[in-house]
Amino acid sequence: MSPQLTLQTPLQIPPQEIPGYLQKLWAQDQSDNQGANTFCLLVWHPAWLEQKLVNTGRINGPVIGLQRSDLVHEARKIVLEKDLPHSTPPLAKEVFNCLQANKISEEYDDFRGQHIDSAISQLQPRRLITLAPNLDKGHDLETLVAAYCPLPEEGGGDSACGDVIVLKGDTNSLKEGLHIVDELIPEDLPSWLWWNGSLDEDPDLLSQLALPTRRIIIDSALGNPTHCLNVLQERIKSGQVVNDLNWLRLRSWRETLAMVFDPPNRRNSLSNIINLDIDIEGEHLVQGLLLASWIADKLEWKLTKEVEKDGQSFKTKFLCSDNSMVNFRLMPLPVGKPSINPGQIIGLRLICQSKTNEKSGLCVILASESGECMRLEAGGVASMELLEEVVPLQNNPAEKDVALLLESSRGSTSPLLSNAAPMAKELLNLIESEK
Amino acid sequence: MIQATNPLRVGLRQERVISPQCLVIFGASGDLTHRKLVPALFELYKQRRLPSEFALLGCARRPWTDEEFRNKMSKSLTNEIKQSQKEWHDFSKRLFYEPVNLEHPEDVIKLKSRLEEIDKIKATHANRTFYLSVSPKFYANGCKSLADAGLLKDPKRSRVVIEKPFGRDYRSAQSLNRIVQNCALESQIFRIDHYLGKETVQNILVLRFANAIFEPIWNRNYISNIQITSAETVGVEDRAGYYESSGALRDMVQNHLTQMLAITAMEPPGHFDPESIRNEKAKVLQAAHLANELEPWKCCVRGQYSKGGSKSKPLLGYREEIGVNPNSTTETYVAMKLFINNWRWQGVPFYIRTGKRLAKRTSEVALTFREAPVHLFDAAGGTPTSNQLILRIQPNEGAEFRFEVKSPGSGMRSRPVEMEFSYDESFGEPSDEGYVRLLADAMLGDPTLFTRSDEVEAAWRLYTPLLEMIEDSPWQLPTFPYESRTWGPTQSDELLAKDHLLWRRP
Repeated sequence: MSPQLTLQTPLQIPPQEIPGYLQKLWAQDQSDNQGANTFCLLVWHPAWLEQKLVNTGRINGPVIGLQRSDLVHEARKIVLEKDLPHSTPPLAKEVFNCLQANKISEEYDDFRGQHIDSAISQLQPRRLITLAPNLDKGHDLETLVAAYCPLPEEGGGDSACGDVIVLKGDTNSLKEGLHIVDELIPEDLPSWLWWNGSLDEDPDLLSQLALPTRRIIIDSALGNPTHCLNVLQERIKSGQVVNDLNWLRLRSWRETLAMVFDPPNRRNSLSNIINLDIDIEGEHLVQGLLLASWIADKLEWKLTKEVEKDGQSFKTKFLCSDNSMVNFRLMPLPVGKPSINPGQIIGLRLICQSKTNEKSGLCVILASESGECMRLEAGGVASMELLEEVVPLQNNPAEKDVALLLESSRGSTSPLLSNAAPMAKELLNLIESEK
Repeated sequence: MIQATNPLRVGLRQERVISPQCLVIFGASGDLTHRKLVPALFELYKQRRLPSEFALLGCARRPWTDEEFRNKMSKSLTNEIKQSQKEWHDFSKRLFYEPVNLEHPEDVIKLKSRLEEIDKIKATHANRTFYLSVSPKFYANGCKSLADAGLLKDPKRSRVVIEKPFGRDYRSAQSLNRIVQNCALESQIFRIDHYLGKETVQNILVLRFANAIFEPIWNRNYISNIQITSAETVGVEDRAGYYESSGALRDMVQNHLTQMLAITAMEPPGHFDPESIRNEKAKVLQAAHLANELEPWKCCVRGQYSKGGSKSKPLLGYREEIGVNPNSTTETYVAMKLFINNWRWQGVPFYIRTGKRLAKRTSEVALTFREAPVHLFDAAGGTPTSNQLILRIQPNEGAEFRFEVKSPGSGMRSRPVEMEFSYDESFGEPSDEGYVRLLADAMLGDPTLFTRSDEVEAAWRLYTPLLEMIEDSPWQLPTFPYESRTWGPTQSDELLAKDHLLWRRP
């Protein structure tokens, strides 16, 4: 499905006139449709790399703010050209940093906030507000407004309409215009903030936008891992509704692992786990730590203070409720063509060994491809019952994942994430102390 | 000891979110409300699937208060509440009651203002699902009263759930459809058939359309016949009043068994969306017909249970049951042969049977495949058995596939074995009651598992020759007696014997 554009060309209106204009716009509507009664989505949408690539003529404009294929392709080329480590994710900060600021394209269209992914438009948002900061300084605040009706994909035709507001300008002028955002968010509808950028950038702005009443969507794979987990944990602790795209991308790993232990005759093995190994792509540890923490939380394991760095990997132990120990190893692996999302899990091995019958054992291997399965098969598991599943990596565009969160939210942080995040933070602190 | 639940599974189910909602049940003093509906809603509440802005408004003619309604419901859920007292305490605060006679317009006006009041207290945003759990004779007037009071005006915020039976025959179903469609859009009307809420019935769709191996052989080239059975061990119990006027044909065949038939025989839909699924179901039902419409007695057998059981536990015959006419000719058993006139199923007989007081409680779909073209091996049992795929709807939910293997020993004799899938062994957790799924779907506005007007009409039309004959010349379709706790009248076995087949003994 291709992204959808607003039905009318957005009008440039001075910020102070927007509320009045919108009021008039809906009042003039001939039908009695006063707009969708759904939610409001506020998006921080810097798209720095895309802007720079268009700016330097490496990809064609306009800037649309979506993870388009030519953007990812060009970014991968830059990784090779600039001798960055091959496992550098294509949209990483390093790729942006190594690009010269030689401006070639003077004028290009910027459609951020106007190109709406159909996965989101199908949810019939009442209002989409996009903050689209310009890479170059010296751009004054510009505000665009358009009414918007999702096009029914097939049949249907009863879609409710909403509106789109885009605030453009350099970061400073956007900040100056922030007061208008609060005024534009309907009070009676759930409001969401999607921080579609690195968590490292502009913590003050994040705090200003992520008011406690707003449900936030962040990606804990973008930014320094310690900072990512700090933001995640602090926001959850404060009672804010937090949704993490990095956590969402773990869903097939969680589901597949749970599926392995659905048959009642396998459940006892869960109390006999002795080893848990997790392999991740590159060096961003957060996703691996979140998965380990989820398992530990569900199986009531406690973290010990032991930690050891063994080559690239980190080792620690969990204490089970029966006082037995589980060895945990997190292994960052360099990969040739990394996923767009940093630190994705590529393999998990879980070894269960009965204390009473040492000859019986179960080795569960989940991997994203068969090579990884073979890697994890090494190390004396041949005598055990071997259970292997391939879990495809989640490479959905971020917009699809955001739509999934918008659609499935219960208006609270997932209890699974709430429980896993503090332990993941504790684990990372331990690892950091060993570095 | 095996752990009762899989700890890694807890909290993983990603269910869809129901919007703020007030569910209004008409017939709230009735059996279905306290036996099925409120327990299903309580289950949804415990699973955290109901929004915090949820209210249940019970309506019936009795002059109960909110508190009385809550007490009545808590009495019928005693066992469930024992284990979840705190949850019940919170849930019961969402239960309200309003005395309403759907035939009195002033009551419905009062209901409207009560709903507005609940919208304010519980923030239910004027989203309403009206559940007609009343006698079928009130369906038409109930819908009219709701429409007249403007309660069905907003198609996005209001819907009506209508219980079975939807009509008594093709004509009455057609006229009821016209009436309710004048009151609301088809997208607002949810005709419920609780069989469609069963995991195992839905699993037929998944088994067929999520696996590449079945669909190529799911047709007349490979399947010789299909048997659909729904057998109960219980008798008419306290439903004699209703059952006397409906019988097995209206009570079970026209709805539950016909839905199983449709799901088993439908073409693959282009998408998994409500209209695509319902289009295919309607199409296959429109192509279905009795094996002999001109002489229905040749393809249909009716039966009625007589006494049976043991000396220590004797069982009454149907005509001796309380509330049953001693000369009743109502069928408690019906078996029939159908065909489906399309490319996929031309010539494949579908045998359907259902009955009360049969030997075993079971519901299943059994697909028997054609025999191997050449028998190379001796069969240990005399003749080789055909491959069979059995989809067990209840109990022991699952599926099994029967095929021939080499019998151990020096010779080359074949014998049948079974390959099994059991919900219990694979998932180890009981699946939800049909009503849990269907109530949630209705509140979500998802009509996939509800029957559309054309499906209902096609289902009634399919049995019109039988219904007319039972009405006009019942002696041509007599009810043959069968002993309680047997597999029905012998005439039913003869129906299959004519085709050199036997009923499967589940």
